Amino acid sequence: MTELLIRRRKGMTSVKEMPVLQDGPPPGGFPAIRYARRIPNSGPGGVVIFLVASSVVSYGLYQVGQGNRKRRAYKQEKFEARKAILPFIQAEEDARFVREKQKYLEEEARIMANVPGWKVGESVYHTKKWRPPAARRIYADYQ
Amino acid sequence: MSSEEGAAVAPYIPVTTSSVLMSANKHFAHFCRAQNKAFLDCKRADPNPEKCLHKGLDVTSCTLSVLKELHEKCPKEMDAYAKCMDYYGNEFKLCRKQQQEFENACPLKA
Repeated sequence: MTELLIRRRKGMTSVKEMPVLQDGPPPGGFPAIRYARRIPNSGPGGVVIFLVASSVVSYGLYQVGQGNRKRRAYKQEKFEARKAILPFIQAEEDARFVREKQKYLEEEARIMANVPGWKVGESVYHTKKWRPPAARRIYADYQ
Repeated sequence: MSSEEGAAVAPYIPVTTSSVLMSANKHFAHFCRAQNKAFLDCKRADPNPEKCLHKGLDVTSCTLSVLKELHEKCPKEMDAYAKCMDYYGNEFKLCRKQQQEFENACPLKA
């Protein structure tokens, strides 16, 4: 019934006289659609692009080198400072070590006083070179 | 509070924290060069601590005397520099301002 309401014409005598209602193009047709490629051949060529890219890369690498120089200078300053301070710290530690070693030898002498043939502070090595004291604990199950 | 008449002022004992030592490193390198070198040569020859005690004493006394002298000449700049180094974990590049002031106040050629 809605078809009749939409497509009705004056002077119709039958449903077969209703005009055809189609969805079609506007009068004059649709405008033309562009589907052809349009890639222009203008702009910088390959040589120019290569030169620009290589200059950017070179500038970056130059900055890397400058940064490395700066970092090396910082490192050198730090190491020079450490070199200047090292003897003082080593001297302090030596004095402390010798004091502690004296106390330790006295304690050892006191403990091993009754053991015959015990040499206090005897080195466990055959060499006469200075060996730092061994710092590992000795466990009972050490293989 | 000002000190009273006749009261003895305690002698300055330098505090040798890492920040103080790092602050004054150029002065140590300049003023204690001979003692440091002698001690290190002795250590290189024989690492035994008991053998280089006397030279170590020279090094220690030289270092402490340098610190005392710096405390007399430019205490404020030295303390500011050491405080900055302490705050920034002994990074030289973060304490350039204080370093410049310290080196202007107590130059190496003094």
